[in-house]
This record gives sequence, structure tokens and C-alpha cells, in this order.
Amino acid sequence: MFTMRRRALCKAVVASLASAAMLALPVSAEPKRGGTVVITSTPEPPILTNALSSAPVTNEVATKIFDGLLEYDMDLNPLPSLATSWEVSDDGKTVTFNLRDDVTWHDGEPFTSADVQFSLMEVVKSHHPRGNSNLGPLESIDTPDDHTAVFHLEHPYVPLMRALSSLEAPIIPRHIYEGTDFRNNPAVNDPIGTGPFKFVEWEKGNYIRLERNDDYWRDGMPYLDGIIFRFIADAATRAAGIESGEIDIATFGAINPVEMRRLETLPDISITPGGYEGITPMMLLELNNKRAPFDDKRVRQAVAYAIDRQFLTDRIWYGFGTPAVGPISSALEGSGAFTDEGVIDFTVEDRLDIARNLLDEAGYTPDENGVRMQIVHDVGPFGEDWRRMGEYIKQALSKVGIQVELRNRDYPTFVRKVHNEYDFDMTSSWYIGMADPTLGVQRNTWSETINPKVPYGNASRYDNPETDALWEAAQTEADPEKRNEIFHDLQRQLVEDSPLVWLMEMNLVAVNNDRVHNMITSPLGIRDGLYDMWVSE
Amino acid sequence: MWLARLRYVFNRVLHGLPIIFAIVIVNFFLVRLAPGDAAQVLAGESGAATEEYMRQIREQFGLDQPLYVQFLSYMKNLLFFDLGYSFRHGREVSSLIFERLGATALLMGASMVLSVGFGILLGAIAAIKDRTFLSNMIMILAIVSYATPLFWVGLMLIIVFSLNLGWFPTSGIATIGAPLGFWDSALDVAHHLVLPALSLSFFYMALYTRLMRASMLETLGQDFIKTAHAKGISEGQVVRKHALRNAIMPVLTMAGVQVSAMLGGSVIIESVFGWPGLGLLAFESLFARDLNLLLGIFFLSSILVVVTNAIVDVIYTIVDPRIQLRSNTRNG
Repeated sequence: MFTMRRRALCKAVVASLASAAMLALPVSAEPKRGGTVVITSTPEPPILTNALSSAPVTNEVATKIFDGLLEYDMDLNPLPSLATSWEVSDDGKTVTFNLRDDVTWHDGEPFTSADVQFSLMEVVKSHHPRGNSNLGPLESIDTPDDHTAVFHLEHPYVPLMRALSSLEAPIIPRHIYEGTDFRNNPAVNDPIGTGPFKFVEWEKGNYIRLERNDDYWRDGMPYLDGIIFRFIADAATRAAGIESGEIDIATFGAINPVEMRRLETLPDISITPGGYEGITPMMLLELNNKRAPFDDKRVRQAVAYAIDRQFLTDRIWYGFGTPAVGPISSALEGSGAFTDEGVIDFTVEDRLDIARNLLDEAGYTPDENGVRMQIVHDVGPFGEDWRRMGEYIKQALSKVGIQVELRNRDYPTFVRKVHNEYDFDMTSSWYIGMADPTLGVQRNTWSETINPKVPYGNASRYDNPETDALWEAAQTEADPEKRNEIFHDLQRQLVEDSPLVWLMEMNLVAVNNDRVHNMITSPLGIRDGLYDMWVSE
Repeated sequence: MWLARLRYVFNRVLHGLPIIFAIVIVNFFLVRLAPGDAAQVLAGESGAATEEYMRQIREQFGLDQPLYVQFLSYMKNLLFFDLGYSFRHGREVSSLIFERLGATALLMGASMVLSVGFGILLGAIAAIKDRTFLSNMIMILAIVSYATPLFWVGLMLIIVFSLNLGWFPTSGIATIGAPLGFWDSALDVAHHLVLPALSLSFFYMALYTRLMRASMLETLGQDFIKTAHAKGISEGQVVRKHALRNAIMPVLTMAGVQVSAMLGGSVIIESVFGWPGLGLLAFESLFARDLNLLLGIFFLSSILVVVTNAIVDVIYTIVDPRIQLRSNTRNG
């Protein structure tokens, strides 16, 4: 009961802060049981178990079915979920979790510490795409009794406590998976969890239906009778579905930003702010640091100066973002990892002159047409808005004499050329920074993550012993203050070197019908369990 | 007669087998020319991956095997009508395809009936009332609908009939999670079918209208029509019994050929209306490099085209009894 109140209190504080900031929010009424919410997202998920895949839509569905050990408040401090309390030893190498004793799986079996040990050690650590960075130095888990799990770490690892949500480290049933080939286990697409909603059916190419888990361990929750995820291939039709009221919620990316701004003006449709603080998504340009012209720091900096981040945020992405300072997002200001002190400011008044001077210094002088160099920009294959951004970048760089040819490729070709063959000059992309820089940001610039066999690592092949040392120090540093100082150093040094050009912190907001209440109550937003979401008719 | 027709269809399909076989071989190598593989797509969608994860996926799908090994095992499986396993969906390809076949067949069937039916009707009227206001209006309508992109027609119908008038749902094939009886759910599906079937038939209707008009005009100018008139047969009789039956043949031929083209058009309509059919499945599987699934759909489409053409041949003999069915095995 104590833990329940803590969570509720925290949410109340967050909610009141949010409404104070917004003022426009309707007066929140008493939650009501019943009703079904229809969510549209894209593309259809490959599988439904996020212990084995971190595809965005897999996460959106699976976080309703599975629980994690912890949840997080808006400042990313841990809150109880399957774990009621926890204790970190003085040397930071042992963490003891006390688990709930009243939880059952959707098939009726009791949940125990053996499930935790199995899920994290056998499945998540080796099979989840980010398992290794999330659980890195976790060596073993002891289960002295059914409701205690003792984590043993090789060295202190602060990010661990930020990576135990149902999004990153879901707990899956041992009695169903043990001794099987995990990926071919039928339960992968017919999942059994402990979460607020049970899986009912998946009609491929059409919808996924979840229904209320009547035995959910949070008393009286969830409020909804069910959730339906609908998959519609055409963005305009998804928008029409929101407009007609057939669809209640559309996740970011399901509807073009310009359409979102139009829908927002309709009387019963809103965009609820927040819900991505634990994900900290970042949009960026990746530059090929191993070949000319981007092997020269001055050219990379010139690109960073030449792009007007505010214009890009307002005009290309319709304000769904914040101009980026560097690799570490300002969303991490709460935990102290972010800084802009002593970081090069690319938004200064005379930025275009600085860019031209840098290019002169680097020896790229303009020819009679004012062209200093020609490069190819492979546009990230994530939709038409990205192509529009490509056109803007082409225009922006032409002002400093860089002539850009745009190239659009389909997704698999793009991944192979950029991440496997490194055959590119400049690409646009985005990454999920997660709740801690070590978890999400590190892989873009750490030399250990240069690996042609693994996409979405360090594609720029930036290789700097100094920043490597800082990343490695941040992994083992146990003192949060000292860790934050390391991150501040990284922010300054990486922006100085500009191996990548960080453009915009993305606001992954969702569009929703006003009948939906408690849209955003956690830093994962609609990627969380939604057990406290409710609808009015 | 019916037995002969049946035997004819069987023979035609038998002759189609080597063609289908050749298509399968070409397809197998063709789809592998596209760079990137399913493991890269899956890992890419995840936003991050470990080497271990990539290796596991490749091993599971047999992507680590040499190409000829993959080919041989694919052909061996195909002999037993095993279309393999979908990388992305984690399921048997055959069950995935058959699950979606119904939706596409419904959409195509309805569109076929609408477009051929209205095409013949409008084309015939345009020919009979040639050089009148009505005829001109029909031909203008035909040109406009022929020139309008499918997706645009679909979106306009959604805006007018779903958003403004609220008569039809914007997308989907049925109301989700509503327990309905047989008739109610049939009605529900029909309600969802109206807009996509109309959009898809729009383009083809225009084509058949033009074809029918030209063919009808030609037939009406022929000597046997003059003879019929001379015999004193009524205008209506001449049109229905003499002209229409003869003029209809090119439309049927075209419709037979276009079954495969309609499968392509339904990709667009299925994506606009969120119709859970085969076209959409093919489209998605291409971008996910889900090669087994893509090959399975190609395989099914090639069978579909061979069978439809045989059936169209049979329909000829019904419409025009003068046409004889001849299998080239016996008569060369």
C-alpha cells in the first residue's frame, strides 16, 4: 500500500506541474473504469516480446503485457514495480531487490525471483539488442528465496538502475521459455506476462487486441477494458481515423508533423506534452570521419555552423523538438548529465562567416561558381519529412559553398551502405539516448562500437582515445556527481570535435482524442503500461 | 460440354507448371539482388544490436548458408508446397498468405464485378447513344477517372464519405472486437468494403468503358447487324442478342489479363484503406527483405494468373458458343 501511495503522489505532483505549465489542460476528473482505447502506430511490429527485440512498436505493445522490476518518475528516479524495495551495497557491486509476493502470470502461475534471474541473465542480457549496454557488468543473480533477487556486478554500474523498466528489461516467464529456442517459442507472438493487459489476438496486417488483466497486482487497475493497436499503411488514412474518432491515439511518426498541427486545432483532439523523457531521442547528421572531406575537424564544424537548428526545428519539424546542444540531451538536465557550459555554440550570429573561414583554413576554397566541394547526402529512410529536411540541408550547406547531392535509398540498402560498408559522406539519422548517456549515447562515438556487422553503432568511425577514456570512466564511476562531470567533459569535447552534427532533441509526442485521460504519466509516455489511463465518453 | 471445359482448364494449368517453375527460379535470384538482408532490417528497426543478436537472427533464418544451399532447400520445400518461414512475422508463409488471401479476393472480386459490369453498361450506352450529350458525359467521366491516381481517389472518398458525411468507416475490414452474428458481421464487412471497392474499380471501369464503346461501335457497324435490322428484329433485341455478345469479348480478354494488374492496384488501395490483404503484405515484405514471404506471394500470383486465364477462355465459350476449346496437346 505504501508503494502505491508513493507512485500516486509522484504522479499527482507531475500532473500538477504539467497543468500549471499548460493551464489549458481540462480539469482532471475522477478516473472511470471501462472503455477501450484504439492506438495506431507504424510499422507493424516484427514480434510481440520486447525481451528479444527493441523495435519501437514491439515496445509500444509489449510494455502493456510485461512488467519491469522498476518504473521511473519524470526525473528518472526509480519507483517500485515488480520490486518493492532495493538496496545497493556500499561498494556498488551488489544490489538486493525485494519482490512482490502477490503477482501471477497471465496463465495463473506465480511470479518468483527465478523469473527475474532467468529473464535478465538468460534472455535480456544476450538477446536484447541493448541488453549488453543495459546490464553490462551484471555477472550473476542469486535467488535466496522466491521473493529476493541479489544482483552481483563486476564493477559499480550506475546506469543499471535506469534500465530496469518494462521497456528495456521486461520480466518474462521462465516456465514457458526455459529450455526452448527463445526466438521460435510460440509465446513470442502469444505473450504471457504479469502486466496490466493480456494478449488476445493479432490479426496480421490489421490489429492487435489486448484485454484487461483482472488479476493485475495494482488493485482496481487498469481502468481500461482493453487496448487495440491498429496498423494502417497510409499516413493520411491514419490522420482521417483520428479525425473521425475511430482512433483515439496516434504515436509520433504515425502522422506527419504538419498533419499533427492541423489535427491539434480540431475541438476534441490534443497533443499532450511529454512522455519521452526516459528515451531522449536525438536527430543528427552522421559524417564519415574516415574519408575526405569529413576527416577534417574544421569541415565538420563548418557543417555544424551552417545549419540553422532553430529553422529546422520550427519549419521542418513544426516545433516538435528543441535545437540540440550536443550529444547529451537537455532532457537529462534533471539527472545532471547535461551541460551547455563551455560547449561551442553553433547558433551565433556570424555562424556562416565562421563556417566559410573554417573551410578556407581547411584548404577548400571556392571555384568560379562559389563551390568548394561536392558531397552526397544519404537521406535517412524514415519518411517524407526526412526528405524535406534533406532538401533544407542541401540549401543550407550551399550557402557556405558545399554542394550537396541528395540520395534516397530504401531501408535495407541504406543500412547496408552506411552501417555495413561505410560507403557514405553524410546521412541523417536519429538515436534513442535512453535515460543515461552510457546506455544510449555512448555507442555513437565510442571506438569499441565500430563494428560493420552491427548496425546503428559508431557508423562515423570516430576514434578518439581521449573520449574513449571518458566513456570508459563513466561506465565504472560510482559517484553520480563525478559521473556527471565526465559527461560534461564529453559534451564539450565531442561538440568541439563534431564527429557528428547533433541537430534536434526530438519530442516524440502523441496525438490523442480528448476522451483519453492520463495520457502521459511517466517518462516513457505511451510506451509504458497505461494501467492508469482512462476514458470518458 | 462441361466435362470438356473442365478437362481443358486442367490441361491449361498443367501447361502452366513449367512457366510457374521458371518464374520461381527467376524470382528466387532476383529478390536476392537487392542489397541488405532481413537481419539488418530487424536490427536496424531495433535502433541497436549486438553482434550476437545479428548472428542469432542470421542463423535462425539460414541466411548464413551459401546461396546454392538456400536455393536447393527452397526448391525441395516447394515440391511439398512448403513455402517456408517468414523472417519477419515468425510464422509459416502459407498460413500468412491464406489468412490474407480472403481479404484481397473479396476486394478484387467486388472491384472486378463493379468495373466490368459498369464498364460494359456505360460503354454500351455510350456506343448506342453515340454523339449525344449522354455519351459525351460518359466518355468524359471515363477519361477523368482513368487519369486520376488511385490513392487520390481513395483519399477523396474518405474525406467526402467518411469525414464529411460519416457514412462509411475510414479504414479496416471490420469493426474490431465487436461480437456479431454471421449476417451482422457480413453486413459490417460490406460496409467497410464499399469505399475501397469503389476506388479500385474506378480506374478499371474507365478502361472497360472505353474498350466496350469502341468494340460496340465496330460491331454495330457490321453487316450481320444490318441483316438483323432488315429482318425486322426490334432495336433492343438487336443490341442485346446480336451486338452485345460479340462486343463483350475484348473486355473479357482485358479483364483476364488485368487480374494480375489489379493485384498491383490493390497494393495502393489496401494501404490507403488499411485493408489487410495480400498486396499490402507483399509491399511490406519487400521493404523488410522478408524474401520467403515475397517469393510465396509471387508464387501464388503466378498461379492465379495462369488459372484466371484458363477460366477466361472457358467463359469465352459460354458467351460465344462458336469458340471451341482445344488443348494443344491433342490438336497441336
